[in-house]
Amino acid sequence: MASGNVSTVYISVIDDVIAKVREEFISYGVGDAVLNELQALWEMKMLQCGAISGNIDRARAPAAPGAGGGGAPGAGSTPPVHDLNVPYEATSEEYATPTADMLFPPTPLQTPIQTPLPGTEAGMYNIPTGPSDYAPSPISDMRNGMAMNGSDPKTGRPSPYMQPPSPWMNQRPLGVDVNVAYEETREDPDRAVQPPQMTKDFLMMSSGKRKRDEYPGQLPSGSFMPQQDGNSDEIVEFVVSKDNAQQVWNSIMNKQESATKASSTQETTMTQVLPQRDGIQDEYNDQFFFPGVPTEDYNTPGESSEYRTPTPAVATPKPRNDTGDDDDDEPPLNEDDDDDDELDDLEHEPDEPNTQHLVLAQFDKVTRTKNRWKCTLKDGIMHLNGRDVLFNKASGEFDF
Amino acid sequence: MATFELYRRSTIGMCLTETLDEMVSSGTLSPELAIQVLVQFDKSMTEALENQVKSKVTVKGHLHTYRFCDNVWTFILTDAQFKNEETTEQVGKVKIVACDSKLLTQ
Repeated sequence: MASGNVSTVYISVIDDVIAKVREEFISYGVGDAVLNELQALWEMKMLQCGAISGNIDRARAPAAPGAGGGGAPGAGSTPPVHDLNVPYEATSEEYATPTADMLFPPTPLQTPIQTPLPGTEAGMYNIPTGPSDYAPSPISDMRNGMAMNGSDPKTGRPSPYMQPPSPWMNQRPLGVDVNVAYEETREDPDRAVQPPQMTKDFLMMSSGKRKRDEYPGQLPSGSFMPQQDGNSDEIVEFVVSKDNAQQVWNSIMNKQESATKASSTQETTMTQVLPQRDGIQDEYNDQFFFPGVPTEDYNTPGESSEYRTPTPAVATPKPRNDTGDDDDDEPPLNEDDDDDDELDDLEHEPDEPNTQHLVLAQFDKVTRTKNRWKCTLKDGIMHLNGRDVLFNKASGEFDF
Repeated sequence: MATFELYRRSTIGMCLTETLDEMVSSGTLSPELAIQVLVQFDKSMTEALENQVKSKVTVKGHLHTYRFCDNVWTFILTDAQFKNEETTEQVGKVKIVACDSKLLTQ
């Protein structure tokens, strides 16, 4: 088996080390006795680990004066496990790699271009470059929303990354509806936290696809309203009758208008949009207000059909554009990393040498195509199934 | 000559480390000298792998985790298969730690 070669190599290494440190020992005034003790202890431990076989050891052993005679070849060996993991557990990894750069370059390019039109690109941009890799879209959204309470949660998202928020505002006459919804969320700090994602994603969807083509004529545009309604729902809850509901709605709309006026540029577009919304909501009122629970029903049609579905869809595509097909897996990836670390920690506790398989090597090249990883390694020491195996070259193909 | 401390985590390196630790603890060896031995081990192990080992290995498996930090690649494979001329090893989970070979040639 390979063990023969391995032990030969190991013994040569031991001999080489002992021979080459001898001068050092002498210069330090340490006698050969200490050096021999070192070699004897070392080889004895190696025998106990089963890293070198007793037979081969003895064959070459003559050179080694103090070679342990009766090393138990038992499998029980020192667990290299714990030390190994500690230094390499460093968490932040991917972006630092040249390969990662290779993977992600499209993102920065796309972001500046597409961001002005749809919010989607900004979201995409956020995920990879976000403050913490571990926090995919949700957390970053949360943070952005929190930080950007003063401004639209929607724009708030990209703004930290896109320094000029104002261009967004100016450039999006079409996105008026979107802005309104966001502004409403602005006003309510509580809502700003949760809804932002929904609205953002939704908007992104709308902006990307519907804005120019479908948006103007279709009811779906009214779907934007429900979000706004969601903000106003609290008020609506007090109202029982249709008329009252509409009045409340109108008052809400007025508030929105005032809010939008704050962002002066988009007022006109806002006003235009508002009547449509009212009309749509009137329909909703007829259908849902009678049942007695206007607010919930109200939101559900819009959210269930369009809001919710677009959100996850948007969230996933973002990473896709960045890195490719793998991206769907990215959020789980990070989670797995954590889990994996935990598993490692668990494994450290019980000393089970055979359960820890480890490869120590040098890499020549690591490449990735989609989820297909290829790497070429050299000069490696593998510890597999309790045995050491050495290799000069190794090629790996992994599916992520 | 630049060397990696990587191989100190191998079986032979751990045995040496333990030995040195014991000898330093017992006072028979000075810490400075122990470090010298470890540095020499880094060199000797690297040279031995370059010059004495010729086997080639192919690795296949599911890549569970990858990370690249400080020029060190770490892969965690699940259901990995290691093949060389002599044998095939199947392991449920394995960690691969690899330093950049170019750092040694510089």
